[in-house]
Amino acid sequence: MPNLIDMRDIIKVYPNGVVANRDVNFSVEKGEIHALVGENGAGKSTLMKILYGLEQPTGGQIFLNGRAVTIHNSHQAINLGIGMVHQNFMLIPSFTVAENVVLGQEPTKRQMIDAEAATRITLQLAQAYGLDVDPAAKVEATPVGMRQRVEILKTLYRGADLLILDEPTAVLTPQETDDLFDAVRRLVGQGKTVIFITHKLVEVKEISDRVTVMRHGEVTGRMQTADVSEEDIARMMVGRDVLFRIEKPPQQRGEAVVRVSGLSYVSATGRPLLRNVSFNVYHGEILGIAGVEGNGQTQLAELLGGLAPPTTGEATIGGQSILGRGPRHVREAGVAHIPEDRLTNGVALEASIADNLVVDRYYRPPFTHRGAMSLRQIRQHAENLMQKFDIRAAGAEATIGSLSGGNMQKVIIAREFSADPALLIAAQPTRGVDIGASEFVRRQLVEARNAGKAVLLISADLAEILTLADRIAVMYKGEIVAVFPNSPDLSEEALGLYMLGLKRQTPPEIESHL
Amino acid sequence: MSATRRQMALEIVRIVVVVALALLLGFFITALVSDDPVGAYTEFLTGPLPKVSINDDGSWQLRGVNRFGNWIEDSITLILLGLSVAIVFSARQFSLGAEGQLFLGALAAGAVSLYIQAPAVIHISLALIAAGSAGFIWGLIPGALKAYLNADEIVSTLMLNIIAIQFYQFVLIRYMRDFSAGYVGTEYFPETAVLPVVIPGTRVTVALFITIAAVVVVWFFMSRMPLGYEIRMLGANRKFAEYGGIKVKRVITLSMAISGILAGLAGTHLSMGLLKQLTLSLSPNIGFEGIVVALLARNDPKWVPVAGLFYGYLRTGAQIMERSSDVTREMVLVIQAVIILFITAELILPLIQQWWRRRRSPKAILDSIEEVGDVA
Amino acid sequence: MSLETVLASIFSAAFIATILRTSTPIILPAMGGLISELAGVINIALEGIMLAAAFFGVVVGALGPEWLPGLPGWIYPWLGALAGITVGLGLALIIAFFHLELGADIIMAALAINILAAGGTVFLMFSLTGDKGSTSTLASPALPTITIPLVSYIPFVGQVFNGENLSGYNMITYVAFISVGLVWVFLYRTRLGTHLRAVGENPAAAASVGINVKRVQYIALLISGVLAALGGINLSMGYLTLFQADMTAGRGFIALAAVFLGNKNPVGTLIAALIFGAAGALEAQLGTLNIPSQLITMIPPLVTIAALVIYNLRRQAQMAANARKFQEKLEADQKAV
Repeated sequence: MPNLIDMRDIIKVYPNGVVANRDVNFSVEKGEIHALVGENGAGKSTLMKILYGLEQPTGGQIFLNGRAVTIHNSHQAINLGIGMVHQNFMLIPSFTVAENVVLGQEPTKRQMIDAEAATRITLQLAQAYGLDVDPAAKVEATPVGMRQRVEILKTLYRGADLLILDEPTAVLTPQETDDLFDAVRRLVGQGKTVIFITHKLVEVKEISDRVTVMRHGEVTGRMQTADVSEEDIARMMVGRDVLFRIEKPPQQRGEAVVRVSGLSYVSATGRPLLRNVSFNVYHGEILGIAGVEGNGQTQLAELLGGLAPPTTGEATIGGQSILGRGPRHVREAGVAHIPEDRLTNGVALEASIADNLVVDRYYRPPFTHRGAMSLRQIRQHAENLMQKFDIRAAGAEATIGSLSGGNMQKVIIAREFSADPALLIAAQPTRGVDIGASEFVRRQLVEARNAGKAVLLISADLAEILTLADRIAVMYKGEIVAVFPNSPDLSEEALGLYMLGLKRQTPPEIESHL
Repeated sequence: MSATRRQMALEIVRIVVVVALALLLGFFITALVSDDPVGAYTEFLTGPLPKVSINDDGSWQLRGVNRFGNWIEDSITLILLGLSVAIVFSARQFSLGAEGQLFLGALAAGAVSLYIQAPAVIHISLALIAAGSAGFIWGLIPGALKAYLNADEIVSTLMLNIIAIQFYQFVLIRYMRDFSAGYVGTEYFPETAVLPVVIPGTRVTVALFITIAAVVVVWFFMSRMPLGYEIRMLGANRKFAEYGGIKVKRVITLSMAISGILAGLAGTHLSMGLLKQLTLSLSPNIGFEGIVVALLARNDPKWVPVAGLFYGYLRTGAQIMERSSDVTREMVLVIQAVIILFITAELILPLIQQWWRRRRSPKAILDSIEEVGDVA
Repeated sequence: MSLETVLASIFSAAFIATILRTSTPIILPAMGGLISELAGVINIALEGIMLAAAFFGVVVGALGPEWLPGLPGWIYPWLGALAGITVGLGLALIIAFFHLELGADIIMAALAINILAAGGTVFLMFSLTGDKGSTSTLASPALPTITIPLVSYIPFVGQVFNGENLSGYNMITYVAFISVGLVWVFLYRTRLGTHLRAVGENPAAAASVGINVKRVQYIALLISGVLAALGGINLSMGYLTLFQADMTAGRGFIALAAVFLGNKNPVGTLIAALIFGAAGALEAQLGTLNIPSQLITMIPPLVTIAALVIYNLRRQAQMAANARKFQEKLEADQKAV
């Protein structure tokens, strides 16, 4: 019997010359859960976009059940029984759940949309596959887990036999992840096939039957999941052994640099995202904030970076309140900030490297002198940092957009570290960064700590937190539920109980480690 | 050649090609309506240039100085408006408010000219300050609405244009009209409030120097001053600017207000330089002309004079053509529309490249790319 | 004329009839603007499209007998209207093509169309008539007026529905009001309309379920072109029966303002357009009271700006209230602990 999907010799070259896929062969058997793994930028998303008709391959062929097919758009992919659940949900916020499920193929009665039928269909599908949703709720008012179930229902309504799930667990709580895995197993039990894109190796082992590994646009491994260990897969992903440990001299903890007290934040839509968060960060320490993503860490970094005013509470440096007056005020108080969403916040793609490197200091001497900016100083500054941080580019005047992803990251890191801050906020600093650059960033963080700076490390990567942090605070639903001094006895499992909200410390316990 | 240099060269080639194509199209439509299209188009393309005629006795004479003057006069307006638009577009604010700012600038200058008496230098300075302030305020309003209330600046500036023009006409008709004239207009401004002519035989006044100064100042402002840097970063990525500590709301407001100053000054050139009075419609449909100038200059102040002179040349040529042939000057608006359409059509080049690539085999493409870039 | 007579004339059926007439060329482009705005392709070329359609309607209507002699007389105004609509479609198509295929900014492409229409109409008018001001030398026809039977016998109501002289309204006025209902049904009850709203709100999501975003945006812009063209035809083949340079006088922009003022839905937009139409009607009425027309003309833009301000202030207040509510709850919780 032929494979359900056979992608042969796929080549994809983007108009800007980037090679995303070169001679990729990828096959999926009917009824399996197939994990597709690789680092960000390995080309797995591109490959799936090609399969789903969102991108056209530059070369190569796709076979469905042994028959050659060309997929020009997602409409054709849907007709061929291929469905995709995107990482960023593809929903219309102001439409109801039912309207979203049937969108594009609405049931009609006398040429008009039949809203009742849409609700009925949604309920039937939800029951058939055990995916609980409220058809009448507006999507903008539903929790993330339900939105994902809506996405899966959408593909099922369209008659998908093959479901592509693009990093589906990235936004889920552990409980929701378990539910999702159950649902996936049920789907396969009913004859569906699932491609599961991820870079979490634990999940690969847990859920998949087979795994394909990609690196730099090529396939580097293809095997039965049962036959390989996580370490094997990791090696195929990065091409060499992962270094998990970093040398760290014993801590020389000093005075508290920043005192955060009673910080709360409510979103524009009235959702409380941070509740009464208090902690200190001391000279010469890395405080790690652990937690499943979406439990307020993003807002915490944004608040401390000055990007939004807190609803209540404050943060002080040297007794002076730093919040509520914008990022400039925060930065002048000695805070540097490596933002989570770096391409959105961290750089201006069409501006030059030199301009990007002075965004927090352009108005101060030596860059501005008596009201005029010195282009020479700005260029020299850029050249120094490019050398020091090994930023590879045509020159200081090259635009950020012309750099590779890793070099863009280095521009941000160069700027924030060279600001010589008292407090450095690093939000998910190694996300989407290749292994080499990750090591570089981690070493820089430790060096900053050794130099006596206070570092607030917010990371969804528990291993990273356990490796780097001197103290660890756990966030759950916008609250700090536990604080520990880091020690070799502290395990991921122990932290996990707090991250999942199964355990929490008493206020005095928390207080004692603040 | 460095990447940036090459990019710039490519950009210049692109603009030249677009302009040439637009002019070619202009010729075709001229040919459709004219009995003598070649003659008309020759007038259009060479009209603004002064001509030297050599007499029989060997002496020579310069003719058509006033046409040359018309060109420079018009270019002054266009350069000031082009600078105005270049500033807001650099901040990536779609302010379309230059028209209203220009009318109010002219009105403020007119009021100072007519109702204040002072020696020329002071009188003119006061009028310029009044006009700049009026433009500043009329830019500040939509700027603040955008920055602090998130009110769409396209809608607000279009509405403020209507209000400004109606207000201008209201004040002119109600309070400033000179009833001895046969049309709606004020008295002529006193001598002390008329910009002195610098090229005899034309209406090219000291506004020329004001404009040159404005180009230098705006260039310095945008490339060497902190606020200019802030405007550029805001335009490149608002969230980045915010994160870097730039007070984005303040910069949005100021970018639109400062842009208004230049449009207001363009109003003084029209009222105190060219018309020497206020009339009901200062210069029809001038408000949006700055946009094509800024587009041709790619929002770069140092290219604005080039673009302004070029477009002024076309407009003046069109007027001369209208006078000496059977083709109206509005032909130039068609050319302008075509230029805007094709210059903003950013995908034309990549599409051509893509089409070129598609004709080659995938393998050849892979081989031709030496470096394997990271995947987006 | 005394204040009383002016007031009496304002609160009369005749005045309502005037409003219906002055609103027609705002309602139609506003519905067009609404559809394109909801599809995520704002159309600021309503003005230019109206102008071009007004011009071609008159030219083809008036010169039709010369170019295509021998047809029955009643057909020429319809040919004119058809020409106007075709031009509206064509201009909208240019915007759509340059924006959707060639990556031009939609504001810039639309501005180019406004400039093209302003310049092109005068250019062609001069070539055809030798006049740059208006086409008064051409004998241009009007589209028929329609009277609704029977209602004329009812006082007041008859005047509202059939105009002050009970002679009916130009057919485009009826088209305008019918269009509001059709647009509503289209947007909220048909598949294409639903797809259109989805595309405007989240194009990537719409694309992912197989909706052809480009196609929907093409359609939205083309519909807006047709509706704006109808508004233009109304000006030159109904409201007046000739073309004047710049005869739209900013109505296309006012229509766009009506979309925003009407909170981007058909009924709200209709109400906003009627308010603007009333301001236009008032202008004529108050002229007799020596109130300058300029002050009245300022009303629609002022109302629009006020609405923008109020809308955003209310949203900010809403957010502040949310935050306060949460803060109080938080404090209450802390006290309880």
